[in-house]
Amino acid sequence: MTKWIVTDPQKCTACHRCEIACAMAHHGSCRPELARIRIHRFENPAYNVPVVCMACEDAPCIKVCPVNARVREVNGSVVTNTNRCIGCRACVYICPVASPAVNPFTGQTMTCDLCMDQEDGPWCVVACRVDGALWIDDGDRCSLQSARAQAGRVRSVLYGAPRVRAHKKGHL
Amino acid sequence: MKIVVVGNGIAGNCVAFGMRARSRDHEICILSAEKVPEYDPCALPYFIGGDVPHEAVFRKSIQDYRRHDIDLMLDQRVVAIDPRDRRVTTAQGREVPYDKLVLAHGGQLFIPPIEGIRLPGVFNCKQLDAAKQLREHNGRRAVVIGSGAIGIEVAEALHKKGFQVTVIELLDWVLPALFDRETAQRFEAVLADSGVRVLKSEKVLAVEGNGTVSGVVTDKRRIDCDAVVVATGVVPDKSMAATAGVDTERGINVDRHLQTNVADIYACGDCIETVDSCTGEDVMFQLKHNAIDQAAVVVANLAGEPVSYAGAYAFARVHFGRMHAVSFGKSTLSTQCQLGDLKIVERENGPDYLRLILKDNLIVGGQAIGKFADYAGFFMGAMRRGDDFAYLRRSRASVCSLQNHYRWAQRLIGDITGLC
Repeated sequence: MTKWIVTDPQKCTACHRCEIACAMAHHGSCRPELARIRIHRFENPAYNVPVVCMACEDAPCIKVCPVNARVREVNGSVVTNTNRCIGCRACVYICPVASPAVNPFTGQTMTCDLCMDQEDGPWCVVACRVDGALWIDDGDRCSLQSARAQAGRVRSVLYGAPRVRAHKKGHL
Repeated sequence: MKIVVVGNGIAGNCVAFGMRARSRDHEICILSAEKVPEYDPCALPYFIGGDVPHEAVFRKSIQDYRRHDIDLMLDQRVVAIDPRDRRVTTAQGREVPYDKLVLAHGGQLFIPPIEGIRLPGVFNCKQLDAAKQLREHNGRRAVVIGSGAIGIEVAEALHKKGFQVTVIELLDWVLPALFDRETAQRFEAVLADSGVRVLKSEKVLAVEGNGTVSGVVTDKRRIDCDAVVVATGVVPDKSMAATAGVDTERGINVDRHLQTNVADIYACGDCIETVDSCTGEDVMFQLKHNAIDQAAVVVANLAGEPVSYAGAYAFARVHFGRMHAVSFGKSTLSTQCQLGDLKIVERENGPDYLRLILKDNLIVGGQAIGKFADYAGFFMGAMRRGDDFAYLRRSRASVCSLQNHYRWAQRLIGDITGLC
């Protein structure tokens, strides 16, 4: 990936500007259910997690899609091919953070394409008013690996510490 | 080095193309029993129902093989392997020498020994040819034998095409491998509402017909129909591997590097028996994502990197109409004969349903319908990390830290289930 979105839950205030900007950029509507970024809010202590597709290196959604509609774009993002998607939601269910959103009108899934058609870059980043909560990076401040780790999307985070596992008897 | 891949399925192609992406030096050859380039068997039910056009079923075209310099031999079913001379023989009489052999020929449709099961009008959904026949079949009444994921998907496809569909399940509830009774009952209600007849605890005794199918006889009744679909599962094809002296049990036995006991023979995909990444048990899941993972491991090992396979995982989703459901890990049935403190957590909210199975405070499996299914990834993450919910309950107050990037996911699970 040449550029990636970095999120910082410690800074996010859950103002939802990014969601509205995303829906506007992709659908020309401000309905937050059309956004490809979503904020999970927690209280006591407050913690707001912006969830957006991090285009996992070993993306499970690509592997489970029965009609091969999840494809990796040239810019590194993983998007749903709407000509193929049948709305089975396999990608939503396999995603460790349920990042694909389901379009309420078509039933198809949609994820962040880094606003590849937009001149100004990702609209969510432009819309974010909190310094350091959401930004686009090309390796200056945050490596792709650590951005993914921070968003809970790498193997070490998903699996935790390696556990000792029983293995097949015989030839090892 | 000449790499010969037996099988033109997903695992076989991932090996061949993965190997080609690493190096252009090797000679790579795929032996396919069928006459078409790689297609996706997962898409076949949707192809039958008309959701997916014919060309979208394919994952590769003939040109892709040529462009990547992969020698695709169509219509060559391998029948024997000679590991001493390093050569495979096909049913068509071709002999192909190899330096490294990869067995990725997958499974065969399990055809139950029922009278009349070979009659014209009995279809299956395993291979493209069979799916095409079913798609072109015009009829009014269909019987689906078996209510696994494929059975339900085919039932939906035929229902969409205007068939009156009956699903017959031998066990006590539908999708018995995926669901517990409680989840299955909710699913059955949706099937019944849309007009699909579900017959449980019923055994098919014979398929009747004079020339072509006219009905199905079970131990309880006779059902008129003009099409029967066999969806009773897939069994690995072991006979060919046995000719090389490869160890087999339920499937082909492999070590952690997916190598068989015979030198220079690797195996991956639906034909192997492997370990569950969470429990370490010997399993055969026969799922697409596992085949792709396994192929990557074989490619690394062929290239000389001793990568170990982390294990397979169970994940399946089914849907009917607007109801979406997901199942992961173990079901209650498969945990029944194990030691440990079993706990079932259920949540219900209108049509949405969640059922988590915990053993000794660890999630070992679960099923979800509707809105709860959206959180399946979080539960699977907790299952694979081995999150101890007794510990998490005690440490409820601890804040999310930058060092623990999945603490919020654990809090989310706690908010949904009350487990922590």
